[in-house]
Amino acid sequence: MSSVVLEPNPLREGLEQERVPDASCLVIFGASGDLTHRKLLPALYSLAHDGLLPAGQAIVGFARPEYTDEAFRAEIKAACNEFARTKPADDAIWQNFEKRLFYVQGSFTEPEGYNRLKQKLAECDTTFGTGGRRIYYLAVPPNFFPVIAELLGAEGMVADPERGGPYTRVIIEKPFGRDLESARELNRVAVTTFRERQVFRIDHYLGKETVQNLLVLRFANGFFEPFWNRQYIDHVQLTVAESIGVEKRGAYFEQAGIARDIIQNHMLQLVSLVAMEPPVAFEAEAVRDEKVKVIRALRDFPAGHECELSVRGQYTTGSVLGEAVPGYREEPDVAADSRTETFAAVKVFIDNWRWADVPFYLRAGKRLPKRVTDISIHFRPAPYPLFKKIQGGRTQPNVLSIRIQPDEGISLKFDSKVPGATIRTAPVTMEFRYATSFGAEPPEAYERLLLETMLGDSTLFARRDEVETAWAWLDPLLRAWQNSPEPPDPYPAGTWGPPAADAMIEREGRRWRRP
Amino acid sequence: MSDIREAITGREVRVDYASIEQTLAELWRIEKTEGVAVTRAALWNVVAHASNARDHDEASDTLARAAAAVPQRTIVIRADPTAPAEMAAWISANCHLLGEGKQVCSEEISIVAGGDHVQRVPPLVSALLIPDMPVAFWWLGDLPHDHASYVHDLLESADRLIVDSSQFDSPTDLEIVEGVGKRTDTAAADLNWIRLDGWRAATASVFDPPQMRDRLGTLQQIRVLSGVSDASYFGESVQALLFASWLIAQAGLDIDGDGGVSGVEVLFEARPSQPPGVARVDLELKESSAAIERDLERGVLVTNVDGRIDAPEAVTRTSARKTDQLIVRELQRPHGDPMLTKVLPIAIRMAKRLSRK
Repeated sequence: MSSVVLEPNPLREGLEQERVPDASCLVIFGASGDLTHRKLLPALYSLAHDGLLPAGQAIVGFARPEYTDEAFRAEIKAACNEFARTKPADDAIWQNFEKRLFYVQGSFTEPEGYNRLKQKLAECDTTFGTGGRRIYYLAVPPNFFPVIAELLGAEGMVADPERGGPYTRVIIEKPFGRDLESARELNRVAVTTFRERQVFRIDHYLGKETVQNLLVLRFANGFFEPFWNRQYIDHVQLTVAESIGVEKRGAYFEQAGIARDIIQNHMLQLVSLVAMEPPVAFEAEAVRDEKVKVIRALRDFPAGHECELSVRGQYTTGSVLGEAVPGYREEPDVAADSRTETFAAVKVFIDNWRWADVPFYLRAGKRLPKRVTDISIHFRPAPYPLFKKIQGGRTQPNVLSIRIQPDEGISLKFDSKVPGATIRTAPVTMEFRYATSFGAEPPEAYERLLLETMLGDSTLFARRDEVETAWAWLDPLLRAWQNSPEPPDPYPAGTWGPPAADAMIEREGRRWRRP
Repeated sequence: MSDIREAITGREVRVDYASIEQTLAELWRIEKTEGVAVTRAALWNVVAHASNARDHDEASDTLARAAAAVPQRTIVIRADPTAPAEMAAWISANCHLLGEGKQVCSEEISIVAGGDHVQRVPPLVSALLIPDMPVAFWWLGDLPHDHASYVHDLLESADRLIVDSSQFDSPTDLEIVEGVGKRTDTAAADLNWIRLDGWRAATASVFDPPQMRDRLGTLQQIRVLSGVSDASYFGESVQALLFASWLIAQAGLDIDGDGGVSGVEVLFEARPSQPPGVARVDLELKESSAAIERDLERGVLVTNVDGRIDAPEAVTRTSARKTDQLIVRELQRPHGDPMLTKVLPIAIRMAKRLSRK
């Protein structure tokens, strides 16, 4: 059967939203959960508010608790009033939105619920013209993924794109496994029901404006790229700091740790965007091909010496932003003798032509002094210290800093002459701040990613080989930590990690940038 | 002269027009010295041209609000060749809080010139533009049909000319705008065209479903109803003209030199009881019909295709956007709008045809 290629709608030309997806049924598995209430449905409502949802888009929540449609809608409206970017919900828009919002009760593991769901989706096709198009969002713990995929397949709810006809897409939330083996198993399960191009692995960092701006910064400007290599760059630092602890996620975090939770996914995504070669086109496969090449080029940890290029820590009692906070081992659902790392710093090399021997220092942690995600590119100093003799000091290297969150922006540090009769230099910064220049609050990451899924554009999603290659690189370190007799280094909550993290970078004459 | 620090509070401070730039620099130096967390920002130079005090005040208020969303150096000019020969200038700052006590400020310069001093305005404005920032020129009111060299000099550095065609009194004004777009590097922009964004989005949504996609080519009749307060005033009909012209352009229909559209009947109707602007659109297609209209109670545009249940409703706000919101929308567009360039010649031909009737 050949599929008919639709001509674009000519009336969309020049409109703010030129790409409007065809209406579909979006099913959220785990509709009673926190992610659905705090992120997914508020994001969908904000898309509707901005006129970006296709007319006729149906949304069906699926979970075990009993709800009527009305009760579910009331709960979601309250969530939108609290969490939507465009809060509070506008009555006119909400009325239109809730007409296509439904709830189906069912267990993830029993076919009965899937039958009811199938029936509801068929009704939506008739009522709203969703034409058999399906998006399944699995906002559920990863252990449910295999059974949901299997039952969706068994109940005939997944269309094969090779046969043409309406699409079926599935969105999976991280963690994509907990090591290479489990990631491969997840991916194997996925492709028994879905084809790879139907699978959208969401890493919400990729939906952030500043993360996308990394590509624009590098490839839409002529003057960065010539300096973006080992000749001019001394080293790169990436920091993902959270001021909060594990909150209610102690049980999950005990199994994960910061390396699985942050480094394997968010940080490696950032590394790949900073280090990738220009793609041949701004298209999903071209961009992801270049990203995965970076991850493939990550230098393996030296066998038997994995821990030498890394530091892991665990927070103890301290204070963050003036509030006294407990240590990790005192958190709920955390073992009193836990060896899970809440902080990790890793020195990474990318063994390719552009980045040979340029260290990338990554650090991520919980209960650090503040919440901040920051990338800083530290350039080599000027080749000859012309002003050293005159002022008796040293000039500072240039630093390009990209703030991912909060207060998103970019700054460039350089030396300037201090006004006066003598030659003295001092570092100054040129700053760009999103809020200052563009005023309006950028869309939430989930808004962008949900819209991209509806449009079928997987540029901002992780591909199978990216995920597996990242695990293949990280696994030896995780095993070494697990087998090490040493526990993670303690650090008081509210500090920038254990002293060993400072020592790791300082022994090479460098320092962590204070973000 | 007043203390220039008052300018940071938004109050206008009169300054010597020969040293506006130096005074602004002094203002920010003082703020820095006194440790106030102020960030100066600009993405655009926006020059507003008014011919009377009322328009001058409106431009100043409007751009002060717009500056919160699009930081800009604002220059408001009031030029009246019939007024006494003199020139004066004021500066002020449009600031808004960003959080954590930080303020972001945009600069505003007001210039009032009369008599032969009006001719001194274009070079003064040129000197006050921030380098490497685009220039938008907002002309308030009807476009002048004379003073060509004055207008030419003012627009010389403009990347964008912003007008509001709802204030035009004849099709000639549309021709002037089209001419600027054609003959210069200045892209034309029309606030009245931007007001149609919602109508265009709602109409486009009618043709989004796959089964509707090819029906646009079967268009047989376009009927546009507009709310008007004075049916004889040309400006009140322009929005409907632009809308119909857009549909004609995008449906790939041919329009003859006389403004007639081959094979499609185009009807315009006035509705005095309705708020101004397009109120309802009816489209007759070969095998179906569609309507887009304002639901004033809910404040949205609704679409209806053949009354069938799979005809989607599109949520598009009908509430009139304020002028500053329209200007922000235009300034957030990095380049001019090629669609307006495409639509204007059709609208002009249709306007002339209507004026002959």
